[in-house]
Amino acid sequence: MLFREAILNTSGLQFLVENLDLKSSLGRRFLLNSKMMYEEFEIAAELNLVNQFVQLLAFEPNAEILSKIQHKLSQLRDIRGTVNNLQANLVLDDVELFEIKVFALLTQEIKVLQKELKNVVLEIPDLQPLIRILDPQNTKIPSFYIYDNYSEELANVRKALKITKAKDGVSDKEVEVCFDKVQKIEALVREDLCAKIKMFGNNLAQSLNQLAHLDLLIAKAAQVLNLNLNQAEISEKNTNYKGMFNPMIKNELENKDRKYQAIDIELEKSVCLITGANMAGKTVVLKTLALCQYLFQFGFFVPADSAQIRIVDKISTSIGDEQSELNGLSSFASEMLKVSEMVEDAQKYENVLILIDELARTTNPVEGLAIVNAVADIFHQNKICSVITTHYSGLNPYFRKLRVVGLDKELGDNLITQKNINSYMDYSLVEDYNGEVPHEALRIASLLGINKEIVEKAQNQLNGKLVINKC
Amino acid sequence: MPFLNNIESYSSLSIVGLEKNTGKTECLNYVLSRLRGSHKQIAVTSIGIDGESRDQVTHTHKPEIELSEGMVFVTSELHYQKRNLLSEVLDVSRQSTSLGRLVTAKVLSKGKVLLSGPASNHAIKELLADLRNKGVDLSIVDGALSRKSLGSPAVTEAMILATGAALSVSISQLVFKTQYVYDLIQLPEINSKLKTKLSEVGSGIWSVDAEENIKDIGISSVLLIDKEKDKLFKYGHRFFVSGAVTDKFLGFLKIQKQIAEIQLIVRDFTSIFASPETYYAFVKRGGSIRVLNHTNLLAITINPVSPDGYTLNSDELKEALERKLDIPVYDIKRI
Repeated sequence: MLFREAILNTSGLQFLVENLDLKSSLGRRFLLNSKMMYEEFEIAAELNLVNQFVQLLAFEPNAEILSKIQHKLSQLRDIRGTVNNLQANLVLDDVELFEIKVFALLTQEIKVLQKELKNVVLEIPDLQPLIRILDPQNTKIPSFYIYDNYSEELANVRKALKITKAKDGVSDKEVEVCFDKVQKIEALVREDLCAKIKMFGNNLAQSLNQLAHLDLLIAKAAQVLNLNLNQAEISEKNTNYKGMFNPMIKNELENKDRKYQAIDIELEKSVCLITGANMAGKTVVLKTLALCQYLFQFGFFVPADSAQIRIVDKISTSIGDEQSELNGLSSFASEMLKVSEMVEDAQKYENVLILIDELARTTNPVEGLAIVNAVADIFHQNKICSVITTHYSGLNPYFRKLRVVGLDKELGDNLITQKNINSYMDYSLVEDYNGEVPHEALRIASLLGINKEIVEKAQNQLNGKLVINKC
Repeated sequence: MPFLNNIESYSSLSIVGLEKNTGKTECLNYVLSRLRGSHKQIAVTSIGIDGESRDQVTHTHKPEIELSEGMVFVTSELHYQKRNLLSEVLDVSRQSTSLGRLVTAKVLSKGKVLLSGPASNHAIKELLADLRNKGVDLSIVDGALSRKSLGSPAVTEAMILATGAALSVSISQLVFKTQYVYDLIQLPEINSKLKTKLSEVGSGIWSVDAEENIKDIGISSVLLIDKEKDKLFKYGHRFFVSGAVTDKFLGFLKIQKQIAEIQLIVRDFTSIFASPETYYAFVKRGGSIRVLNHTNLLAITINPVSPDGYTLNSDELKEALERKLDIPVYDIKRI
């Protein structure tokens, strides 16, 4: 899976990318085209690189050098097309040769800067021999033309053209003949030059890649310090987060001067059901779990105080933002198709992370509950690391259940609003050994100050039911 | 040609033809030839590519510009490849035009080049700023006065206007049409405080009250004025029109009873697309127009030869123009 695909259905990822201070289009493309990693050594290598840059940024003199490198990176042009042309044995025009020269000069400058960091983190190929060819006058000025230095013959015909042009009463024809000669020799010199620099094609391609990676690593490290991310350890068994938070929502809350409550959660290789009142942040937990898993396997630090994460082969989510209307399916139908796919995945691979928000919520609770139990059972039997949130009571007792603590703080006469709910809600998760889900919907609805008649009528309905039951 | 002494005191100059074949290219070549001895760093570019392609179709004289050693020029990749001179690439733009990216280069050995350049106002302004950064003292822009081009030559500090028989073969008509453009170019600029405020305003018609506060009238374009006329005078009689001012709009304003109080502010003189008759009637009745960006007209050049071969009397034309306009007029064929 490519990063550009992962970003499409993970809103938290988009937020992080928008906040990533990438200096070049090269870096951006490098990130979007980077592959999700499934091997321990790959992930460890990338995370270690990020960590090295975090350490560098934390030390002022190094941070200064890195900021100089970033400034150079911002001048970088994406010359992949030109490098491809070179490698394909095409003759390049002056503009393309100019691009290569400017790129090589810039690369060399960055290489020198990186040396100042003492420990060279990324190996950048030496382009000095290429620069010597493209800068025969050794001016180090980023400009280019087919220099007279390349060929004595060229220098001579150019001189002849100049003399012809300056002659009194010279005919256009004469100048044209001279000019054609210059062009012919220039073409030969250009061919020769391109043949000479073709051997640097691989070095150029590699430099492009390394500089893009460098850009990304510095940006990742800066983000680690900005958002307080941490390096996750690779876990063989359970995935475990301490103080996990969602950076996007945290940022939104902080903009409104409110605090985000980080949570702890541990996932075993089995199904886990999360229950809890409305507005208790169950969906956010799922979204954050997906986000962290992606971040980890794309070589980012994660938003948590500490984390041990197990590598998975696939992340499957159903978090209710699919556009079901577009393909002509009801929300129930499209959810069921998605879940069916997940169940097939669960039976095929053993190593998937499945996250489902309020499974079967759009149908009647009797059948809905049956579906939840059935799906959870399959995950349970196949030992699939999966999380399902639900409001249904009567879940099979052998499933592991987590409950959001919810509204347990003393409210007094305060009305709950969207603005203040998070100061009264305890978002932490506790193991729940009792199969009953919290019945707080009416309480929260009334606290939100919705139309009293709705609450009263619903309450009567519930009381009535109780009476009938008693009879 | 005395106006050349003035040129060096500006940092940007556009040369604008009122019509094809009014001698714009000859004028540009002349200006460049006279600047050859100058110690200042000169750069040359163009607005868009409109002019060149058209001339290639009608097979009239191809507007190649003659550049001498040391001059900087900006043109598209396509035209760069076709250049007829030795030059050194200094920069390539990140944005692309329809003819490829823009190449900035320095002439090493004199010769001819076809010019093309950025098409939008914003891009031209950026390019001029970039050239200044590269050490250019005077940027000369080959400008077109065309409704097709988004870019306006009024972004330059100074301007030379080229007119001639291609516009009209009747001297009185030619003078009338040229004077109209001349009058528009002379429109006074608003104060700099209001200018800063208005440069940030988006499209549509805006009201400017006595305290120079800008208010949205809620009319998104002059073209929609028919249905929204009643809203127009809600806040006063001073308006900023960010887009084009049409003949219809000016015609509507012209017949209002408060005409004497009406003041229209436009971006620059190229925003006015009204006929001369409507414009003069508007002004005669007391209406006034101001611009956000004023440019200094340095001179008018004339080309008495029309593309179909008709030749006007150069002296007569020069005299007729000078009598009406307070500006030096030169015959491009004689200087």
